Amino acid sequence: MTPGSLSGQSSRPALRGWLRSPLANQIKAPLVCIGLTLLLWQLLVQFNSAGFPGPVAVIRQTWDPYIINPFFDDGGTSKGLGLQLLISLQRVAVGYSLAAIVGIGAGLAIGLNRFLRRGFDPLIQVLRTVPPLAWLPISLLLFQQADSAAIFVIFITAIWPIIINTAVGINEIPQDYNNVARVLRLSKRNYLIDILMPATAPYVFTGLRIAIGLAWLAIVAAEMLKADGGIGFFIWDAYNAGGDTSTSQIILAIVVIGLVGLALDRLVGAVGTLVAKGGRS
Amino acid sequence: MSRPFLRVDDVTRSFELPGGGCYVALKDIDLAINKGEFVSLIGHSGCGKSTLLNLLAGLDQANTGGILMEGRQITDPGPDRMVVFQNYSLLPWQTVRQNIGLAVNNVLRDLSATERSERIDTSMQLVGLSQAADKLPSELSGGMKQRVAIARALSIRPSLLLLDEPFGALDALTRGNLQQQLMQICQQAGVTAVMVTHDVNEALLLSDRIVCMTNGPEARIGQIVTVPFERPRHRLEVMEHPAYYGLRSELIGFLQQQRRLRQRRAELERQAEQSRSTARSTGSAGAVATARATVVRLGYLPGLDVAPLAMALARRLFDPAALELAPVSFATWERLELALREGQIDVAITPASTPLRLTLGLDGAPPWPAITPMTVSRNGNALCLARPIGEGGVVDGASLRDWLAGRDQPLSVAVPQRQGMTELLLRHWLAGSGIDPEARVRFVPLAPVAMQGALRNERIDAFIAGRYRVAEAVQERQGLVLASDREIWDGHPEKVLCCHEAWAAAHPEALLALCAALMRAGERCDDSSQREAMVQMLSQPQWLGSRAAGALSRQFEARPEGGLGALRFNHFHSDRAHVSNPAEGCWILTQLSRWGWCPFPSNRVEILSQIYRPDLCERAQELAGFAALPLPRVAISLADGLHFDQDEPLAYLQSLPGRPSPPVQALPVPLSVQSTATSPPSPTIPG
Repeated sequence: MTPGSLSGQSSRPALRGWLRSPLANQIKAPLVCIGLTLLLWQLLVQFNSAGFPGPVAVIRQTWDPYIINPFFDDGGTSKGLGLQLLISLQRVAVGYSLAAIVGIGAGLAIGLNRFLRRGFDPLIQVLRTVPPLAWLPISLLLFQQADSAAIFVIFITAIWPIIINTAVGINEIPQDYNNVARVLRLSKRNYLIDILMPATAPYVFTGLRIAIGLAWLAIVAAEMLKADGGIGFFIWDAYNAGGDTSTSQIILAIVVIGLVGLALDRLVGAVGTLVAKGGRS
Repeated sequence: MSRPFLRVDDVTRSFELPGGGCYVALKDIDLAINKGEFVSLIGHSGCGKSTLLNLLAGLDQANTGGILMEGRQITDPGPDRMVVFQNYSLLPWQTVRQNIGLAVNNVLRDLSATERSERIDTSMQLVGLSQAADKLPSELSGGMKQRVAIARALSIRPSLLLLDEPFGALDALTRGNLQQQLMQICQQAGVTAVMVTHDVNEALLLSDRIVCMTNGPEARIGQIVTVPFERPRHRLEVMEHPAYYGLRSELIGFLQQQRRLRQRRAELERQAEQSRSTARSTGSAGAVATARATVVRLGYLPGLDVAPLAMALARRLFDPAALELAPVSFATWERLELALREGQIDVAITPASTPLRLTLGLDGAPPWPAITPMTVSRNGNALCLARPIGEGGVVDGASLRDWLAGRDQPLSVAVPQRQGMTELLLRHWLAGSGIDPEARVRFVPLAPVAMQGALRNERIDAFIAGRYRVAEAVQERQGLVLASDREIWDGHPEKVLCCHEAWAAAHPEALLALCAALMRAGERCDDSSQREAMVQMLSQPQWLGSRAAGALSRQFEARPEGGLGALRFNHFHSDRAHVSNPAEGCWILTQLSRWGWCPFPSNRVEILSQIYRPDLCERAQELAGFAALPLPRVAISLADGLHFDQDEPLAYLQSLPGRPSPPVQALPVPLSVQSTATSPPSPTIPG
């Protein structure tokens, strides 16, 4: 990666030293590749007369107020990106929590009971493939209200991987641990606390992690169709406004959505590692 | 005898296969373990050792039979039978203390919290892990994990400790230390332990007894080795013990024999498949498979012992769909054996010693691997002494010895076959009576039909033969019954079914159908209400002839004269008569080597499991509709009061009077292709 590293004494040893540090090693490659992508984008835009903004234009056009002031509130639906995000995150929090509670509960029931497992498996396999937006009309019919409908879509999208992974986790408890429990004649309660929960935790968190991604996916889509606030609404609103800077706003929102999605995924992953410490080594 | 601590009673465990059928992992396991005993299970992988351990733990249930611990049946797992699992099975999310606490806190609920905590501490001290109390298993080495597992198991003071290859994954040094620790702990705590292992040295160091399992499927106990070293044991002292290397080579020998047997079975299976496919294409083979039935040529010598054959033919018990039987009669055993070797007949009813003689090649010809799937008859022999000698005061073994002492010539005794079952029994009886059969007796092989004439002409002094021949001689006032086989070995195997192993592998259905028919016929022969019909049947010319009818029917009278009361009728069915019992074969082996005809084979288990096929016997019994009674692993009681333990044949040989112990050496049995002759031999008409 660094040509000329064998040339001995360097004119700028400090920079060279830093380039070889572990941190630099990690960010070097992404930095270069993302930079090249942005450059390519900027170059391509030069040949486009339709007015699609390049990265520089995006930043310039959204700098004020969207980037420097994410929490402005002009009343109505005109709010900063941060506030829009909070609205979305709030919906996700409610829907996802419900999905986690119901999903783990259902997963436990299905994992522990052969009859339920066999009975519900086909249903789960079918429903889990339904795209989030397909639920929206039903959801609106049921709840008559955009906010609850969006929450329901998140719930129904996020619950399947949680159920499936919890059930699989219970199924996959090593026979050895179950044998230990049988030999020691552990009570139901102790079995749950000492063996079932710790052994299933890694699977449950895998499910939760997949679910948070799906939930974030669903919220943006749901808000774009029917909502009066939230990051999805922001994109759709900007598109409908059709102003000079709309495209830039949309692009900025996309970047923000991506970053938040990544953060959510990492957050759940980190919690999972923390809770399931020890895990199945 | 006091009741054992743990009793495994005829346990069979089979698993249903997903594609139908079932896999029998363990068959007829019979084992008693005393309190405080350390028992190891060894065998090749797939021999059901771990299955047996799971049954003992209660994690798995036997299909038939049961396991009793202190008189109570084991039906589910429990903390009184603690298991040390193969891969430790520590909970990775719990520290060492928590892992041990899981056992202590859940099991010892009667103790106070402080007592339990103390118990956890002492358990950790016991295995030297106090420093690691708060570490997670992932932070421990393999040896430490295993110590935690042992500490967890011992912390609740189980009455039975079950160890599944506990040291398999450890390096040699750690293993040695842990073995020593385990030994001390077990001895201090007086724990009864059962350990699965594949390490012969480990088994020898730790165990009081080593149970060697045969290959699966249908794994059985092949041999039980008692380890005599005194406790406390130390590795080096044990290795210097004079018996150590003998025991070690016995165990390794057993494992090697099992491996060879497995290869042999596979090879036979392959050959059988091959011959079946060639038979399909050419339409000719040793036994001709027609569209439905297989023609089986069965050789026999007429006599009472083949009554089941006569019965089966007369009552049409052979299932015509599976089997078309062509019986071939012979006058002497030599000719029958020759026909068998040359493939002129497929199967024969032979003396019980014949399969071993042919397999070991004791008749002078190359080894001919025979098998025997069933015993056709038991008992029915007697020693008939010329009447003048008997009237001169010879009435039993002791008087015969005294009589022989005052005479220069040896006693001349006719036997139907050299090295036959009758000769073995006779020699055993003679030696037991203080008569050296080598010096004082001359054995004359003679066709059974010619024996009475030879006695009359004073060419022989006595003969040993079937009860019917003896009865005739007694009836005609030529002889007296000096001894019957009841005074030697009551219930000994007399005639067995014998065929080449390759033929058995190639025609399994026909062989089983034949056995099943003979078994059903044997049941009728044992039925006293059928006696009259049986006499009539046997009086026909192809069996014993009309002359026999009188002699036979007189024997069934309430009080026969002339010592005939000592004769016991053959039995064909009762008391598990059909069983093909390797323990009996082992006795025959000891006798063959006792008289110097062969060295005692160090690979006896291999030879015996090759020849004796209780598995086929059981399948045939099922086919015949009889309950397959399992074979108890008990010593055989002979009439001289000496018990024969199949696990200690050399000790038995040493305890016998007379000759020095024979040399011990391996007698390999090469795979051989069975010679086949398609033209049947010219049948000999019995005289």
